[in-house]
Amino acid sequence: MSTSAQTSPGAVDPGLYSPQLATIVGARNLTPMDRVFVVELPGRRDLGHKPGQFVQVSIFGYEEAPISVCSPPQQRGSFDLTVRNMGGLTAQLHRMGPGDRIGIRGPFGKGFPMESMRGKDVLIVAGGIGLAPLRSVTDSIFMERQAYERLIVLYGTRTPADILFPETLEAWAADPRNEVLVTVDVPTEDWTGHVGVVTTLFPKAHIDPSRTVVVALVGPPVMYRFVLTELRSIGIPEEQMFFSLERRMRCGVGKCGHCQVNNHRVCTDGPVFSATELRHMHESI
Amino acid sequence: MRHALIDEAALAGWLARLVETGRVMAPVRRGRVSFDFEWIDDPRDVALEYIRTVLPPKKAIMPAREPLLEFSRRGGLGAREQSASPVIDERPYVLFGVHPCDLAAIGMLDWSMGRRDARPDPHYLARRSAATIVGIECMPDRYCFCTSVGTCNTRAGADLFLTPVDGRYVAEVLTRRGERLLRKAPKLLRSTAGEAAKAAAWGHEKAERTTLRLAAQAPELADLIDSRWESDIFDQTAERCYSCGTCTNVCPTCFCFDVFDELDITLAAGTRARRYDSCQFEDFAVVAGPHNFRGERADRVRHRWFRKFVYLLREYGQAFCVGCGRCSHACTAKISLVDVINAVVAEARGSVTG
Repeated sequence: MSTSAQTSPGAVDPGLYSPQLATIVGARNLTPMDRVFVVELPGRRDLGHKPGQFVQVSIFGYEEAPISVCSPPQQRGSFDLTVRNMGGLTAQLHRMGPGDRIGIRGPFGKGFPMESMRGKDVLIVAGGIGLAPLRSVTDSIFMERQAYERLIVLYGTRTPADILFPETLEAWAADPRNEVLVTVDVPTEDWTGHVGVVTTLFPKAHIDPSRTVVVALVGPPVMYRFVLTELRSIGIPEEQMFFSLERRMRCGVGKCGHCQVNNHRVCTDGPVFSATELRHMHESI
Repeated sequence: MRHALIDEAALAGWLARLVETGRVMAPVRRGRVSFDFEWIDDPRDVALEYIRTVLPPKKAIMPAREPLLEFSRRGGLGAREQSASPVIDERPYVLFGVHPCDLAAIGMLDWSMGRRDARPDPHYLARRSAATIVGIECMPDRYCFCTSVGTCNTRAGADLFLTPVDGRYVAEVLTRRGERLLRKAPKLLRSTAGEAAKAAAWGHEKAERTTLRLAAQAPELADLIDSRWESDIFDQTAERCYSCGTCTNVCPTCFCFDVFDELDITLAAGTRARRYDSCQFEDFAVVAGPHNFRGERADRVRHRWFRKFVYLLREYGQAFCVGCGRCSHACTAKISLVDVINAVVAEARGSVTG
């Protein structure tokens, strides 16, 4: 099995593509489509990830899929993955529960710049399942709440049933230092909240552009363009906006070419990019 | 540097000995005008006078299909008994008869699969270190443009290099590994200054005969192409392109791959293998959703030129192309890589001055 955790950069690791056999120790459905797993590496070793990084999840016979880690680095001995059932490997994963073994490689990529958020307001913009990986950021903030100023969460989903962590969102909203706004595209009869895409929440939130760092993961590429335009119009500087891009990372180590966006390899240069970087990446969003 | 002279008989004896005592990959004739690198059983099959092979000698170091892991999933999916171990092929071999452009391409693969990242590829590097490489001089045809990309006289990467002179070969020893390989030749003749001069003259004649040219060279080439992101030339090229992926499959510098799990008949064990992939295939940049980031053929066509002549050129310092002509020669739609570059360059220069 992989020795990558012990290998220094530049050294040849014969197990570069070999997953470690990890154990699922917890699993529950968030929605009919989305299931969250708690995963332990052998010896309950820490994954050692940064918020925004991803792992390659492996099931032998079904190849690998890149999945963002959605727990904060401060969670010791295990980490969480939220997986949407999109068929193939993810469908197999949805049939699994505590005690099952899956392969893990990583963590890979560059995460969100947590350092640049310290002492600032943090604006989280999430679309659909994008909220799951962004919990690695929010939960990191909650671990050291005093190091950050206001936390603003703007979250859009398709229907009320698609809201990933409704109780958690309510708990966040109860703290006066936080502002949580949720909107749905398609309301049900009993829905009393906001209706519309996530960008319709921007005018409703209390955002001070000069002191706000934005992290966003908003689903379909077209949403990135809308969010970027909206953030620019309220005066947030591009170097304070960070977007996590979705690509088909196959190898995770900058070789296979699948996640290339212009001159960048999303798996090693990203998946998090600043809006300044995206400006030069025509194919990014 | 040591030189020696090998005559035809000694060459035949040498090849026979190499095939007898180890693994040899060399060009063989596959049809009237087509050649391919193959593992050699019969040394008489080796055809050293060839213009280009269909697939480049890359196939020895990075095969079209290559196992990465052997896995066992005995006990079923999710079972505790699962295991996997990397497949690393360190068996030594001789890669015989590699042209200078293909030597340059191996240097580029050494960079992209090895030095470029903090995480070098163990499968590539194992096969690469297991190789003893014998280069050989060539003459261009109308698809070759090595002089425009600086690969015409590449020796780096070879352990030995052969140049035909008067029905014999001048062998240039480039490494200790090459020296050891040459010692297996049954009879070596002393190479004179006259033969060395003739060997050098070959390089000059080759350069003169290479008439196909790029209109610009690195580093300027990258800026010119980069300035024409919106160029219609990519759309016009896409109208002819079939997205068949032949260009990237025959390319000696392409290294993109996809990964597949292949189960054996018991379904309890299998191989995780990588295979060449192509950025020209429609589903190459598809993500869940589904969304395709290069769904238009013109986007994929442009990506090929930008990757080789803008992105990787700027990182590597040279075009990620060795001028071998394989892509243009093999293209189903007869699209010429050079024509496209030169049209874009002309357009860029026109729009700069005009």
